[in-house]
Amino acid sequence: MAMPAPAKETTAKPPGQPDLSLCVGLFLAPAFFLVPLLPGEYPVYVATEILILGLFAMSFNLIYGYMGQISFGHAAYFGLGAYATALLMQYLQQETGAVGYFGFFLSMLIAVPVSALGALIIGFFIVRLTGIYFAMLSLAFGELLFYIVFSWYSFTKGDDGIQGLLPPAFFRDVYNFYYFTLIVVACALLVMWRISRSPFGYTLRMLRENAQRAAFVGINVRLTMLVNFVLAGAFAGLAGSLWGPFQRSVSPALLGWHESGLAIFMSLIGGAGYFIGPVVGSIVYTGLYAYVTRFTDYWPLTIGVIILAVVLFAPGGLLSLLDNALRRLREKRDGDGERRERKP
Amino acid sequence: MVYDLTSLLIQLLSGLSRAMMLFLLASGLSLIFGVMNILNFAHATLWMLAGYLTYTLFQFFTATMGESGWWLLPSTFLATAALFALGCLIEFVLIRRMYDRELPEQLLLTFALILIIGDVIKMIWGVDNLRIYMPIEPMEFFDSFVNPYSFVVIGVGVAVAAGLWWFLHHTRYGKTIRAAVHSREMVSALGIRIGAMYTAVFGLGVAVAAMSAGVFLPIVPIGLGIDMDLIVQCFAVVVIGGFGSILGTFVASIIVGVVYSFSVLIWPDGALAIIFVILVAVLIWRPWGLFGTELRS
Repeated sequence: MAMPAPAKETTAKPPGQPDLSLCVGLFLAPAFFLVPLLPGEYPVYVATEILILGLFAMSFNLIYGYMGQISFGHAAYFGLGAYATALLMQYLQQETGAVGYFGFFLSMLIAVPVSALGALIIGFFIVRLTGIYFAMLSLAFGELLFYIVFSWYSFTKGDDGIQGLLPPAFFRDVYNFYYFTLIVVACALLVMWRISRSPFGYTLRMLRENAQRAAFVGINVRLTMLVNFVLAGAFAGLAGSLWGPFQRSVSPALLGWHESGLAIFMSLIGGAGYFIGPVVGSIVYTGLYAYVTRFTDYWPLTIGVIILAVVLFAPGGLLSLLDNALRRLREKRDGDGERRERKP
Repeated sequence: MVYDLTSLLIQLLSGLSRAMMLFLLASGLSLIFGVMNILNFAHATLWMLAGYLTYTLFQFFTATMGESGWWLLPSTFLATAALFALGCLIEFVLIRRMYDRELPEQLLLTFALILIIGDVIKMIWGVDNLRIYMPIEPMEFFDSFVNPYSFVVIGVGVAVAAGLWWFLHHTRYGKTIRAAVHSREMVSALGIRIGAMYTAVFGLGVAVAAMSAGVFLPIVPIGLGIDMDLIVQCFAVVVIGGFGSILGTFVASIIVGVVYSFSVLIWPDGALAIIFVILVAVLIWRPWGLFGTELRS
């Protein structure tokens, strides 16, 4: 098995060089803030989707990029969050006629503990395995949840999904909802950034490089993995809670493995080795999807060729291309330094 | 619905033919994974491509040389040969670059193939479901009618299983392949051209799948998207049976196929959920599968 990855040189940031993720993030933040200046509502709509899916991909990358395991059923927690929000909103709509602001925020907040609880129960079993077995068990649980949602018609409306989720008046406006999403996602990213720089974050990287050695120095490997799994599930749930009010509907497909694959694509296209990589991947994927599908019916072919090109010619994602280019510039300037494969 | 003996027998028959289809697909997947550590996500898509190819060849033969169900034989053979060549090509051009990459990148590459091949199929054959109608009379079987073709399908499945097992255990090439499952370094140190072997194994795995597509065309209509359902079930089969074990894959296919066809009887919407319950249970209890061994960690 290729997993766990062979120990590579640990990549502490060389002193005096700015962190690429931070630079990209500082560039993207004002760009996202200014998106509504573009003509029409469509760019704002696309940007909202980019942010939500970006957050979802970021939560996946907590498990893949930092912990070195592949969750192939990560959409389960995204979908759980989306359904928790949708079901509560639907209930409030039926009981009181419309969802008030308090009800709306409550519906969204409930998604986080629901997804976290789901991730806790499922993660308890999954973190006992690593590598391909981790991937397969997460896939199996994900599909299981998908089929439960799919066939439990009386509770989830099965294949029909839940339609007509109307947020309160203020959030029905595309621009308002966009800024709301931007704030939520930005806060979540700040928390994630804090986590990735904490001792806990470094412990995760340690598990990725060598779990056995981590155990030798007294780290409770399974507990650490479980805590991270629950965190990732909670962030995925938060992303899911934004999805229902954004699309006005949820469907079982949100829990399926295609959706899980989306998080993997985005992380790898952007660069799983970079904190901000999944967001970059989401910009590329969602942005392309939004505009390419206007010109051609052959979207899968287009994205297939792009993915193929990224895998073959930009291993490590688009950000690693940028990183390598910058490094070559620096090497030219300083005349030393070695090329390293990068992990967050 | 009355659960009498006859309907149960028919359900068993349909479960077994489904099991054979899963086996023919999953055995290639399992072989490729066992030898090369590549999880070929595009396996079912190549299977689907073979199905479309067989369909077109069959239409061509019947249109030019008269109607006969027997044209399925040369059609399947030609499609299998074509897919063997395509499999070798894919390994040689793409998969070869992925051996020292991590699992997600391999998945991403083969997933890109799914998207590309799927869209190419859509371009050439369109979005309609295709199937071949065989002029076969239903056969009376315990007071009920079954399609005798099911027996052909089951026979082919068992024959291929036996053939693969014989090939892997009693021929020089097969033994070399099994040796490579255990230690590719050692095999390559003994002077065996491991690169050529990888290409051949990938082609072989795809060819077995391609053949099954032809064999199943008269009973399973082929259509876009069917590959996605199948590949996930194949993963389930391979994991339940144990990676790299032909016997395990065979037994797991029968379990999954039969359980599925009986679940459909009882709880149509949740039939696949039951498969995943089994998968979860096996992964928790024996992550390396029923017949697998914990080889490489």
